[in-house]
Amino acid sequence: MRGSKRNPSAQGISDRLGRRFARWVDRRIPPARSVTLDQRRIFIFPSKVGLFFALCLLVMLVTAINYQNNMSFALTFLLATLFVVGILHTYANLSGLTLRALRATPAFPGQQSEFSIELQRGGGREHFALHLKWPDSNGSVINLADQATAQVHLRLNVGKRGWFSPGRLLLESTYPLGLLRCWTWVDLDLYALVYPRPVASPEPPGLASDRPDGAAVEVLGSDDFYGFRDYRQGDSPRQIHWKGLARGQGVQTKQYGAYASRSVWLDWEMFPGLGVEQRLSHLCYWALEFDRQAEEYGLRLPGLAIEPGLGERHRDQVLQALALYGIEARRR
Amino acid sequence: MKPDQQIPRNALAWIIVCLFTLVAPHAGRIPLWVLAVYVFAALWRIMVYRGRWSYPGRAVKAGLIVASFAGIYFSFGSVIGLEPTVALLLTAFALKLIELAQRKDGYVLLFLGYFICITEFLFSQELPMVLYSLLNVTLLTTALVAMHRPGEDRFNRKTIRLAAVMLLQALPLMLVLFFLFPRIGPLWAVPIKSHTAKTGVSDFMKPGDISSLGKSDAVAFRAQFEGDIPEPSGLYWRGLVFSKLEEGAWRSLRYYDVPPEERRPRPVETTGESLKYQVIMEPTQQNWLYSLRYARPSSGGVMTSPEYVLFSPTELEDQRLYSVESWPEAMLELNLSPWRREVELQLPAGDNPAAHALAGELRAQAGSDEAFVDAVLARFTREAFVYRLDPPLLPQTDPVDAFLFQTRAGFCEHYAAAFVVLMRAAGVPARVVAGYQGGEVNPVNRTVIVHQFDAHAWAEVWLEGKGWVRVDPTAAVSPDRIEWGLERAMAAEGGFLSDSPLSLVRYRNIAWVNMLRLRYDAISWRWQSFVMGFDRDRQFQLMNDVLGDITVRKFLLLVFGAAVLVLVPVAWSLLRRRSAAAKRPCDLYYLQFCERMAAVGFVRAPGEAAADYAARIERAVPSIAAEVRRISGLYAELAYGARGSDPRLLGQLKAAVAAFRPGQTMRFDRDSGQAGDPRHFAR
Repeated sequence: MRGSKRNPSAQGISDRLGRRFARWVDRRIPPARSVTLDQRRIFIFPSKVGLFFALCLLVMLVTAINYQNNMSFALTFLLATLFVVGILHTYANLSGLTLRALRATPAFPGQQSEFSIELQRGGGREHFALHLKWPDSNGSVINLADQATAQVHLRLNVGKRGWFSPGRLLLESTYPLGLLRCWTWVDLDLYALVYPRPVASPEPPGLASDRPDGAAVEVLGSDDFYGFRDYRQGDSPRQIHWKGLARGQGVQTKQYGAYASRSVWLDWEMFPGLGVEQRLSHLCYWALEFDRQAEEYGLRLPGLAIEPGLGERHRDQVLQALALYGIEARRR
Repeated sequence: MKPDQQIPRNALAWIIVCLFTLVAPHAGRIPLWVLAVYVFAALWRIMVYRGRWSYPGRAVKAGLIVASFAGIYFSFGSVIGLEPTVALLLTAFALKLIELAQRKDGYVLLFLGYFICITEFLFSQELPMVLYSLLNVTLLTTALVAMHRPGEDRFNRKTIRLAAVMLLQALPLMLVLFFLFPRIGPLWAVPIKSHTAKTGVSDFMKPGDISSLGKSDAVAFRAQFEGDIPEPSGLYWRGLVFSKLEEGAWRSLRYYDVPPEERRPRPVETTGESLKYQVIMEPTQQNWLYSLRYARPSSGGVMTSPEYVLFSPTELEDQRLYSVESWPEAMLELNLSPWRREVELQLPAGDNPAAHALAGELRAQAGSDEAFVDAVLARFTREAFVYRLDPPLLPQTDPVDAFLFQTRAGFCEHYAAAFVVLMRAAGVPARVVAGYQGGEVNPVNRTVIVHQFDAHAWAEVWLEGKGWVRVDPTAAVSPDRIEWGLERAMAAEGGFLSDSPLSLVRYRNIAWVNMLRLRYDAISWRWQSFVMGFDRDRQFQLMNDVLGDITVRKFLLLVFGAAVLVLVPVAWSLLRRRSAAAKRPCDLYYLQFCERMAAVGFVRAPGEAAADYAARIERAVPSIAAEVRRISGLYAELAYGARGSDPRLLGQLKAAVAAFRPGQTMRFDRDSGQAGDPRHFAR
């Protein structure tokens, strides 16, 4: 860490400065799902390479002076003004770009969430070497030359349960000369949902008594696909898994059906005496477990109930409810 | 390595191109092995790119550096001086290519490249060189841009176009800085050109020295007169005065040969009309400057010797511009000091006895020194003396005797030397003057172009009451040489520039070739007088003319005003494009449709295709499905379909959007709870 060598008070000052700066940036570039870059949002300053170039220009100038060489003066000044013109070109490379938050995939704590952002160019201008990065994410470099929009996916380790904010997204570019660095920090108002950490527990008593035998019963006319079995005489040809047959998996029949089982309720009250996070972790574990076993389950939390169901959407709904339990509703 | 630190293939190609275009102008002044290093470095880097070879290890790199230092040392005899430094720089430039792996190496390489452009200007600031360097700068900038286009592997015209556009945009502001940046003197002494051969007339003269210059068509200097150009027979450009004859060679007096009281030129009374002219001399690596007699310099840094020739205290490493005013009729040194008389009469004792005898005889017959001069010249005219570019060699002992009585063939230096020996033998102070005679008048801009083949030697004799008088014995032998120049004088012999078949001067008789040559020469005069003439005085004068009195405020105002004037149009042209790329009409109608849907809670998600959006609405609000499908279908056809330019289709879209009122139709759906939370759809 950079801060480790500093004494505490210096650390404090730099923290305070950092917070002040963050507030200033917040005012200047307020969070928004879609941000179009303009002069209020773009910062520009010579890069390290630019400073090195300035040093080189100085050497050239001294050479021109010492040799009293007018063409050397001219070349030095040409490069110096190239630097100045470069400010406009570097700025133009970000200007007019629109960044949009697309989505962030939910994740369990300790896993990575994928944040998707869309970049759209303004007008017919080409943009090159756009470097996108969240403070702790991997970086991504893209060009926006042939296509009007491009999607960027950045992976980021998420924190604890609830809404995870990746912070401000850094977009920077040194195109076209590398002498100037043009950047912006945008808050795309994009949050990743972090589920509770699933923690296994002994089967709670409430669950065991309600537990059905787990066998699915075929119900004719239902259209929920649940699996394959070997072909038996009399099966409808429409139910034969032709693709599998083509792959040489033998003749199999697709089975459709529904569980003729009683629904299971995952209840907050099943884990008396435990803390909030622990209860949520256990509930999460069991929700995943039932999902895996393809058994219908419902969720009952204080002030909230989700009817028993099955499937990806249902699971996500349950996990979201667990993730957001007790967390203040975030505006958008 | 981070992906954005890689060097795209395209940039690598540009860099290798730059490498060779940069070294090309230096090729003549660096050892051949440096060029081999360039080829080797390019080959190595290409093999690395192909994955066949690998980057050099630390030991190899160190070895290469040591080897190049040693190589430079052995080639030049030292590593100090401008040429070895430049050669070293060029070698480092090539070696850096081998280890070019990341973008930061690329920066070092390209910035070094810009500096190499500067070193090229230290050797030549002529127009072709400047234009070539501009090309080099464009290529270097292209390479720099290419480095910042990640993933670009193929040649892209836009890269070089962007570099050129940026340089063009930088040009106006560069000119402002160029004219306004204060020209201060050198901050410290810098390495000088020590390995360049001296050219032109040298500071001592043996028979055959000047005739060797007669074979060169290189330009020695150019002069531009303010008024009329004098007749060619009056254009005797004095450069050196040879007063000492030692071991068969004439040489000028050195500083310590002259006693202190004789080191300053004696004052001259200026009489008659004066000639004002500017001279631009090509670099000679020597000190003397050429002028018509009696010359007074009007530029700084030009000195006058006691023999009334001009010289520069520093050697002419680059082209040099100076202004002169001359009074051809002024009489030089009316009173000869005893020391001077003694010097100008000295001859090695015992040499050339026949010449001495002849001189004594002729002087005795003539009544005066003037009559004696005429008698000697008459002898050159009367007897069978020939003017030749390639005369027979003269013996080491008594060469003047051999010339006067046996070979009787020689170039100007033979005649001048023999004449002075005869004069001195008879007690008349005389000396040899070397320089150029005549010159080609360029009708385009009225400059006099003096070539090396105009090099000439003549004599000056001191006559009572007249001072130093110019006598040209060559004129007595070959009047054509003086009136028409060497080419006409050599017409019969056919030796003029016979060794340089490609010389443009040789094809002067082809009208269009000659016109092109002279036009180019006129441009190059203008360029050189501008580039070299722009010094502190000129700058001050220019600013005075433009600004009136110069104040800091005015100066800064001018700089910033110019910067704004130049940069605002650039900024406008860059940022204008955003609005210029206006949306198509079909986009506008479709966006209108999207707005109406958004107003009732269906926000089109970023990046959501029109068809997906429509499908989502249809599922949620079946009652408006037909209209939505029609609108998005029309839009898809207009935006992406083959009938995109069909105006009827556009009209249909316009009408459909105008008639579309989702708010009214949808209310029923929403009441039944079908649409749900609009926010859900926003995601």
